[in-house]
Amino acid sequence: MEERTVTHGTFVIERSYAVAPERVFAAFADPAKKRRWFAGGEGSEMEEFEMDFRVGGSERTMRRMGPQTPFPGVALTNDSYYEDIVPNRRVVFAYTMSLGDRRVSASMATVEFVRTEKGTDLIFTDQGAYFEAGDGPKMREGGWSKLLEGLAKELARP
Amino acid sequence: MSGRARSRHQAAPSRRVNIDRVFHALGDPTRRAIVERLSERPLSVSSLAQPLAITLAAVVQHLQILELSGLVHSEKVGRVRTCRIEAAGLSAAEQWISERRAIWERRFDRLGDLLAEPDEK
Repeated sequence: MEERTVTHGTFVIERSYAVAPERVFAAFADPAKKRRWFAGGEGSEMEEFEMDFRVGGSERTMRRMGPQTPFPGVALTNDSYYEDIVPNRRVVFAYTMSLGDRRVSASMATVEFVRTEKGTDLIFTDQGAYFEAGDGPKMREGGWSKLLEGLAKELARP
Repeated sequence: MSGRARSRHQAAPSRRVNIDRVFHALGDPTRRAIVERLSERPLSVSSLAQPLAITLAAVVQHLQILELSGLVHSEKVGRVRTCRIEAAGLSAAEQWISERRAIWERRFDRLGDLLAEPDEK
């Protein structure tokens, strides 16, 4: 039997945007806007995007991993359920990510919009359970260089 | 590590500390250069220092941070300290977490681009 383990991880991302919380919130609430920032890029082809922005509503995006990823051609599915929505204040959702037919993680995500003099501070908190399944060695093999490359880009910013 | 991103949670401390340390360790271009070179082959501290335009003492400091994060392992044999990549530094699950964070960082970059456009109303 293959060994399965769970690792818990939490990360927080804070950003400041020079627009009012109403506009930042709208970018989460309006499917056309959300699609533009949420699901673009990432070296993969988007095949599905559906969202029902209300408490109890769900959202689903499915992308096909591109040739530069460790799993070319494999479907990456993101399923979310909206748990709490307070207009212009916060959005809370639970989401899972699956690679092919295998669940990779389940997370609780909280987005808070804080009105400031300059606009909005966005605080994103992601509390996740990550399931290490049989792809561990492959992730290690394909992931190292990709991870370093990605981190370098992300962390090199001032 | 980016100033706008910080952690403030207590769950699973040992794992989380490790991830935070890894982020911190890789948040420096010199340390990333060291990791990249070591991922090719093990090197002595002095040969690591050679192409880098910094002092040996500075390299040793960077190596200490990398060792604390679990990314690099060093061993002294005689008078030579040899460094190598520690494959166990990041488990697959930890790679997923790091990658997940990077995905959200990129999303919020794109959100910023979208919000910088004039509001169509």
